[in-house]
Amino acid sequence: MNSPSSFNPDSLLLAAFLLLSQLLLTTSRNIGLHQLNYHGADDSPTYIWPLPSQYTSGNQTLTVNPNLTLFTSGNGGGSRIVSEAFDRYKRIIFEHASLKLPSSGIDYDLNKLTILVHSDDEELQLGVDESYNLLVAARDAHSVIGEVTIEANSVYGALHGLETLSQLCSFDYGTKTVKLYNAPWYIQDKPRFEYRGLLIDTSRHYLPIEIMKQVIESMSYAKLNVLHWHIIDEQSFPLEVPSFPKLWKGAYTKWERYTIDDASEIVDFAKKRGINVMAEVDVPGHAESWGTGYPDLWPSSSCREPLDVSKNFTFDLISGILSDMKKIFPFGLFHLGGDEVNTDCWTSTPHVQQWLQDHNMTAKDAYKYFVLRAQEIAISLNWTPVNWEETFNSFPTSLNPKTVVHNWLGAGVCPKAVAKGFRCIYSNQGFWYLDHLDVPWELVYYAEPLEYITDASQQKLVLGGEVCMWGETADASDVQQTIWPRAAAAAERLWSAQESGSLRTTVLERLEYFRCLLTRRGVPAAPVRNFYARRPPIGPGSCYRQ
Amino acid sequence: MNSPSSPNTNYLLLAAFLLFSQSVLTVSRNLDLKLLRQLNHVGKDDSPTYIWPLPLQYTSGNQTLTVNPNLALFTSGNGGGSRIVSQAFERYKRIIFEHASLKLPTAGVDYDLSKLTILVHSDDEELQLGVDESYNLLVAASNAHSVIGEITIEANSVYGAVHGLETLSQLCAFDYGTKTVKLYNAPWYIQDKPRFEYRGLLLDTSRHYLPIEIIKQVIESMSFAKLNVLHWHIIDEESFPLEVPSFPNLWKGAYTKWERYTIDDASEIVEMHFKLFHIKSAEAFSLSSYEYECSNSVITKIQLLQKIGINVMAEVDVPGHAESWGTGYPDLWPSSSCREPLDVSKNFTFDLISGILSDMKKIFPFGLFHLGGDEVNTGQYLLDFLPVVLITVTTSICRLQDHSMSAKDAYKYFVLRAQEIAISLNWTPVNWEETFNSFPTSLNPKTVVHNWLGAGVCPKAVAKGFRCIYSNQGFWYLDHLDVPWESVYYTEPLEDITDASQQKLVLGGEVCMWGETADASDVQQTIWPRAAAAAERLWSAPESGSSRNSTTVLQRLEYFRCLLTRRGVPAAPVGYAFSITNASEHYLTDVKFEGAYVEEEKPTYKIVTLQKLVSPYGNVFQFFCLKTDTASVLLEASASIQALQDQIEDMLHTLSGKQTTMLTGEKRSNLSKQGIVLSTISRS
Repeated sequence: MNSPSSFNPDSLLLAAFLLLSQLLLTTSRNIGLHQLNYHGADDSPTYIWPLPSQYTSGNQTLTVNPNLTLFTSGNGGGSRIVSEAFDRYKRIIFEHASLKLPSSGIDYDLNKLTILVHSDDEELQLGVDESYNLLVAARDAHSVIGEVTIEANSVYGALHGLETLSQLCSFDYGTKTVKLYNAPWYIQDKPRFEYRGLLIDTSRHYLPIEIMKQVIESMSYAKLNVLHWHIIDEQSFPLEVPSFPKLWKGAYTKWERYTIDDASEIVDFAKKRGINVMAEVDVPGHAESWGTGYPDLWPSSSCREPLDVSKNFTFDLISGILSDMKKIFPFGLFHLGGDEVNTDCWTSTPHVQQWLQDHNMTAKDAYKYFVLRAQEIAISLNWTPVNWEETFNSFPTSLNPKTVVHNWLGAGVCPKAVAKGFRCIYSNQGFWYLDHLDVPWELVYYAEPLEYITDASQQKLVLGGEVCMWGETADASDVQQTIWPRAAAAAERLWSAQESGSLRTTVLERLEYFRCLLTRRGVPAAPVRNFYARRPPIGPGSCYRQ
Repeated sequence: MNSPSSPNTNYLLLAAFLLFSQSVLTVSRNLDLKLLRQLNHVGKDDSPTYIWPLPLQYTSGNQTLTVNPNLALFTSGNGGGSRIVSQAFERYKRIIFEHASLKLPTAGVDYDLSKLTILVHSDDEELQLGVDESYNLLVAASNAHSVIGEITIEANSVYGAVHGLETLSQLCAFDYGTKTVKLYNAPWYIQDKPRFEYRGLLLDTSRHYLPIEIIKQVIESMSFAKLNVLHWHIIDEESFPLEVPSFPNLWKGAYTKWERYTIDDASEIVEMHFKLFHIKSAEAFSLSSYEYECSNSVITKIQLLQKIGINVMAEVDVPGHAESWGTGYPDLWPSSSCREPLDVSKNFTFDLISGILSDMKKIFPFGLFHLGGDEVNTGQYLLDFLPVVLITVTTSICRLQDHSMSAKDAYKYFVLRAQEIAISLNWTPVNWEETFNSFPTSLNPKTVVHNWLGAGVCPKAVAKGFRCIYSNQGFWYLDHLDVPWESVYYTEPLEDITDASQQKLVLGGEVCMWGETADASDVQQTIWPRAAAAAERLWSAPESGSSRNSTTVLQRLEYFRCLLTRRGVPAAPVGYAFSITNASEHYLTDVKFEGAYVEEEKPTYKIVTLQKLVSPYGNVFQFFCLKTDTASVLLEASASIQALQDQIEDMLHTLSGKQTTMLTGEKRSNLSKQGIVLSTISRS
């Protein structure tokens, strides 16, 4: 669970608001799905995705000034991350042309947004405090104008607060103003899991930087916070590695590459949206493309995978790659792969076979040796190693205890891993592999990372989960509609309290609304109701019923 | 053809450059097949340049020049000071220098090209059909005669200059080795102008609402392929998303209260407000915080208008395809159970059309306005098709009798009256071909005939003196997913038109992205890359594609598709017979396009045949409230076939000597529901 530390209870402002809001509240509920649904059906819908952990709302409808002014306070209030995010969300909330025309003399209920950020620490890491409170106080006898206040311990919590605020607002075509429905609002929110990931794969198909940015931007709408960048695989090696400049000769073409500056830009772009980038270097399997630049890495020119375990050069090169990547990827976790290793090339290539004999190793021993040696390199660079579950399944007792086990093959691995004290990330391919197009949204939604784990201390070892967008059949043309809307289903599972998903009809309605919100923001999210993912709509109709 | 007039030839600067460049050129060629092959060859070696669509005339060399990321713009001519030019320059600078490596300070590096001069002769910024879109682009190399290289774009209008910038952006590519932007095959001299003045793409926002952000993405991507008309099919029977101030209940016909366009939204789409710093590019381009904040305040304080050279032609499709109108004004329906076409008998119908068009005139400055007029459905054709069957048309509308009108007359009356309204607003009416097929002699001579059903209509229309837009559905309907890029590419708008004066009456063509199965999630990958194939057909000289040397075209098209993805446009893979599908979706693996493509099996052709059967040329009003979308057409066709089978069965029974007809009461009532009553013709 690893929930972030709770709020500074001394905050006077918050206490004051709490008091005030208690007076105004007309409806008070916890996770009241019935009510939310009711509001959806009437004239003043508010659908928040993912659902906040606690909230109360009322029945007032307030108008929002298109020239909403930002006031910041707290040690972190002056952060550019906050002010840039404010401008981004202002463009989203006030997208309509009608709002850009001069409109003097109109009185709006909400003219001011106060963002209070307690900490000026902008370091983005796993476990950073992402909680926030959002208060929308209505106009009434006690106050002449309404106010919107976001309070957070970190700038990243404030970003989530802005996202939620943007979802409370919608454009009213009748009056041509932006309205905030069901005020007053008091939302206290924090994520259920600290790791809420999405994998993208730029080896099977190169994804242009512009497309990656689109994906990152859309992740922030669903409050996902880790982009797991599966950069390299056997098909292509698109990343520049200055220490070993021939490696990116393994790119598909000379245009399908990332310079280190490109990669840094992606990390920076993601950071401004509160998203960590976890890089993956998948060894020793899935690495054939490495040998295009350095054929010595292949056991032989006819047998090219896994990487040659017998040569020190292999490990020097891994060390070089990781050292170069350390300069780009500040995130504390680093993914070392370790999945689907077929050791036949080791046992069939004479010099490797000889090496195995000399070291009295079986192929399985050599696999373990390789993974552990790569882990040591990562740990020496101050990284926490993440490995796919095969490593844990094969030699659980030898893995470095810091290892985070990344589940994918099926259910039951995280329970075993946390029982042995390892941390775990849940990505059961039956539900959370987005390239499986025959998994409809309900299966994604109702998958449970804590399945079979009852002990509270063991539950805390599950960092969270990740949906995986493997790239064999997804490229720039369809990656977004394969990711969305199903990734959003997982995002709510990872963010919201478990109980929030108990009413199916409501969830569907909210998910459809969120999918249309994505399309409004320019994200080509696929229809929700199609059984097969990313299929086009089957006939004419409203976005909200597909 | 209607090619724009060529740029002013007296211009001294250009002449000087021409002279200069002639001395530098190492390769000089005119557009011919050899050229294509050479282009292909260039593609394979280390210095590729793929231009899409191919310019009319060009020469290139073999130098590779580096381009300064801080490329400076100098403008001259009457139109040089236009904001359209300077904003387009900023847009293309972001595209050309997208890589982060280029944004780092690079003191002390010498670049070959540091300066771009844009010369625009006219300061007239009005965008209309036939605006001069030609341009010359000169890239002079550094050599003994000049210390630094220069890039010059010369155009008569700002819109020509924008095309020149697009071409320039395609000459440049980021070199990952040296981390600089390079311009290959210099020196270049390009003289370019479009083959057709009308190069359109239809978007349908009635079958599915397309958010403004998505429409803007489509418009921006159109400019990359030099398309110049967005045909906005705003309204159809399914939904009425547009605000009409004169008749405020009309947009009650929207799917939901969120799936609408205000008039301001529509204006914004027409004027194409581009944020000076696009949301995604803003941070990417964080050269300096000053610049970012500066641009940001610009966004919020002054809304910047960025015209990118694309006309928007609106469509109000009457009298069919208009059921959604009646949600707000039920009087427009002939009856509450029979809702299409619009009630021809009421003056209110025409008052309302007049109101809509007057309101739209304020939004859409483009000279053409589309009045639809297609697919007004009937069983009439069945009558011709099945002479053995006696068909009685049951009609519930009798008012026509007061005016001694047949249903066909009323259809004509409706279309012509709508035309008059458009013409009185100074619009040139465009109508789908059924109007021309039904009453060619009555149509207003200004009418532009919009072909769609099949081949052969434009030749007939231009022979009668009408102008024509080519959109043969067998090739240029993008919702037909089984039409591969080659079919799109090798379609010829001037097919069967040999007379030069008649050829000039073909304004151009349009690819149509009908929205039944395309929404915000898949519209871009259904449009691209096939729309690009049509774009080259409409822009480039016909010879450029005449050799069926498809490897060359394919290679360039694949490059252009990747260029689109680099610019953030989710264009689909080129090489599959079915667009927007993926290599490994199981149901497609066995029909994957590998050259072994069987034309006869195209469902499109079958649907076309069925459409002709059910909703043919020369029709009368639909009395039966039949829908005209593909699914309904198929349903109706299958019902008609069932009717035929029943009829045959019935006749066989009669022939075999049985006394009574086999048509049971239920079957009879099924048929009469379709407005068809069958009876056996007596044997003798």
